[in-house]
Amino acid sequence: MVDFIQNTLDGIALGSAYALLALGFTLIFGVMGRLNIAYGPCIMIGVFAGAGVYSDLTQSIVMIFVATLAGTILASAYVERVSFAAIRADAALASMVSTFAVWMQLEEIVAHLFPARTYAFKELGHLSLIEAGPFFLRQESLFMLLVTLAVLLGLALVLGRSHFGLELRALTDSRRAAIISGINVRRIIFLTFLLAAMIGGVAGFMIAMSDGQVTPKFGLWATMKGLVAMVIGGLASLRGAVLGGMLLGIIEAQAQWYFGASVREILVYAILFAALILLPRGILGGPHTVWRS
Amino acid sequence: MDVYTITVLANIALFSFLAISAWLLLLVGEISFGQQAYFAIGAYTGGVSTAVLQLPFGIALLMAIAAGGLFAGLVAIPAMRLSGLHFSIASLAFAELVRSVLNVFQYQRWVDGYLTGPDGVNGFRDIRWIYDAGIDPGTYFLMILGCLSVVMLGVVMASYGRGMTIVRSVGENRRLAAAQGMNATRVRIITASVAGAIAALGGTLYAHMATYIEPAQFGLMIGVHSLAYGLIGGMGTVFGPLLGVLIDIGALETLRIFSGYRMIFFGGLVALVLIMRPRGILDEATVAKVQRWLRG
Repeated sequence: MVDFIQNTLDGIALGSAYALLALGFTLIFGVMGRLNIAYGPCIMIGVFAGAGVYSDLTQSIVMIFVATLAGTILASAYVERVSFAAIRADAALASMVSTFAVWMQLEEIVAHLFPARTYAFKELGHLSLIEAGPFFLRQESLFMLLVTLAVLLGLALVLGRSHFGLELRALTDSRRAAIISGINVRRIIFLTFLLAAMIGGVAGFMIAMSDGQVTPKFGLWATMKGLVAMVIGGLASLRGAVLGGMLLGIIEAQAQWYFGASVREILVYAILFAALILLPRGILGGPHTVWRS
Repeated sequence: MDVYTITVLANIALFSFLAISAWLLLLVGEISFGQQAYFAIGAYTGGVSTAVLQLPFGIALLMAIAAGGLFAGLVAIPAMRLSGLHFSIASLAFAELVRSVLNVFQYQRWVDGYLTGPDGVNGFRDIRWIYDAGIDPGTYFLMILGCLSVVMLGVVMASYGRGMTIVRSVGENRRLAAAQGMNATRVRIITASVAGAIAALGGTLYAHMATYIEPAQFGLMIGVHSLAYGLIGGMGTVFGPLLGVLIDIGALETLRIFSGYRMIFFGGLVALVLIMRPRGILDEATVAKVQRWLRG
């Protein structure tokens, strides 16, 4: 029982990172009804930009963060122009395939600029454990949780209080009604991409810091985790994304502890496959998902 | 022909199986990112058949085709209830599931004093049938080409009969096809199963040429490439996916000027074709025009 609770604690920390990735997917899916599979690779560009700044220019944590965010945003803007803005609105699957094509490009760009594959990233440093009875929480886990909470709070404010948030929600509810109301759909979509990129950049920065290194595998990893968490939670529900991320984190932590890493991988994909068939709308996604932050 | 040319040509032929497999699913209106799963199933089934069980090569081919068709059919029965996005993600999930299962799959036996068989992440080496049977690379390439011709002939014959018309109707509009009395779900499941069998056939041929296979070879990017071949080549004819393979492996990978930048060019090309010609270079309209011109 002690193990189970400890795993759940670790899982929630890991899951908070997944939740952020799933949120990025969900925001884009919400406004467009399309998937941006290149979301993970865009974040990979960001963390490599951060690693480049860290190894060549400065140790400053702020500058590394800015570089990570800037890289992710730049790559996302490119994806939005090539794979979404340029493709007809009714060709959702063409967009998805196109994001894969851009993914190939992003990977090769990283391979050229960063030939050594694995690069060091600014580490959080060796921090002490927070103990409470038989349980403990690593400080990096606490850091992840706090950052995630801050991002969620910020996102809630943007969506709930700003005019852009109102337009974004209107567009998610009904594209047609949004157009009739005079909302500049293309602008909102572009801004939503930037918002998703910022969330992804924060998630990537946080994950790279807790790993202390970055590799080109990060793109595939981030896309798969975000996608699984999003599908489990419900395709267009923000709460679902957070819940799905946490759930995925907990399941992974338990499976890792009780069965080992390779079974964990099998289990995650089996759950994704089963969730798609048994719960095509996810846990929190209804036919018309109510969108509240 | 020298060995290098033969290897390039054989690679083109082997990728064509995978490209035709993904293309068939495009025809019924579904985008699959997971055909490499059946390629892998075929590779492992065929490899185990000849290297571990010491079965004849012909039987190995048949077993691989059966395994690919069976698995693809079993996956399609639940997955074909989904459509669009959900189907695509499900195909991706299944492919990664297969890869992670192969990462732990072990089936090793002592054969002629050597421990042979799949060994999880360490891969599966010594699938030596073509060397034991004394087949040189040129002859083996002709065998691959023969199998590919049979597959393509099958598709071409189906497009002269009713088969391909039914498949295309279901892909165009499932409800309308059902209203015409076609069993849309069954057509989709059978197409998926045939596509799986074709991929598995290619996988077996690949395993015997490479003599070494490992789960990492059947990653997501292979599946995405084979899907992209059909999309850029065109949906109108079975030569579409072939054209896609020729552009990527025949031109981009072989030509020196593209070396190191192949993915950037290929990715850009795919993105561009999707914008300008959503149904590929050889789309239905182009194919119909060419056919009219041929008839005079």
